[in-house]
Amino acid sequence: MRTAALPLLLLLLSGCEALRPQPEMGINPRLASRGDQRSPSLAREGLAWIAPAPSGSGQLQVRWFDLRRGLATPLPGLNRPDAQPISVSSDARGQRIALVRSVDGRTELLLYERNLRSLRPLRLIPPGVPARVSLSADGRSLAVQVSRQGRWQVEVLQLP
Amino acid sequence: MLRLRCLLPCLLALLISGCAQRFEAPGIGDQEDPALSGNGRILASVAERGGRRFVRLVERSSGRELPLRGLRRHTPHRSPSLSWTGRYLAVIRQRGQRREVVVLDRLTGRLRPIPLPGDRVPERLSLAPDGQRLALQVLRQGQLDVELFRLPALEADRPAGAPLP
Repeated sequence: MRTAALPLLLLLLSGCEALRPQPEMGINPRLASRGDQRSPSLAREGLAWIAPAPSGSGQLQVRWFDLRRGLATPLPGLNRPDAQPISVSSDARGQRIALVRSVDGRTELLLYERNLRSLRPLRLIPPGVPARVSLSADGRSLAVQVSRQGRWQVEVLQLP
Repeated sequence: MLRLRCLLPCLLALLISGCAQRFEAPGIGDQEDPALSGNGRILASVAERGGRRFVRLVERSSGRELPLRGLRRHTPHRSPSLSWTGRYLAVIRQRGQRREVVVLDRLTGRLRPIPLPGDRVPERLSLAPDGQRLALQVLRQGQLDVELFRLPALEADRPAGAPLP
């Protein structure tokens, strides 16, 4: 009894007991697709991520899964067939989505406004090659990992 | 008039690009994997220090680095993610041959591992703003999958003034 109590006590004192995650059984099968899926960004109301297009063309797309409605919903004007998405990040409501993608050998940083169906480029000053993005849940700040002169830097843009 | 014409595109570019704030510090090499708290006040990144890759938190308003107890070992760290106020920090760390997902509650200082079912190897993660769900990119049987998990044992982290559910 004593030998069993000691490790238990130590575990409790260390404050290190595991947190058991519960798989979202109703959602995960609906996210599954043939081919690799990447760059999850979890918002309050949904999930943005990069996955092969449902059409089976093999083309990678940014997709949105609405957690309230329990289904994938379209992002009109965001994806284009000749572009390869690299990193994606959403605000809490899924209204703003930041994106890094590669088109014709160029790497672009873009901001998508879902209500307006608009996609506009964001300029890095001085210029650099963006890699990963993180949009704050309030949608006002955007952190970007940028390569400049062979070094990785992190910077935050304040969005209007 | 000519000067104005030159100035306008610059102003426009500045407005569109916003104002960039860079987060470098002496002795810090490459910085990768940025993640902002929900309110944008805290920036997490993975920084190279002394040849090891650690997660680092910076308060944006002051540029001050915030203390991170309990996360000094088991590097490299990768893919940090923060809740609304930055109370919770989720990150992947390397423990020997194994990659492990952990959540640090910065309010209580408690660090808790999140054991994943089956043979999943975590690659990237994203914590919901309230901290009650976790999205993971996992490598399983040679394929990358994105999966969601609930973390019901965590108290919700909400923006100040938000209504209770």
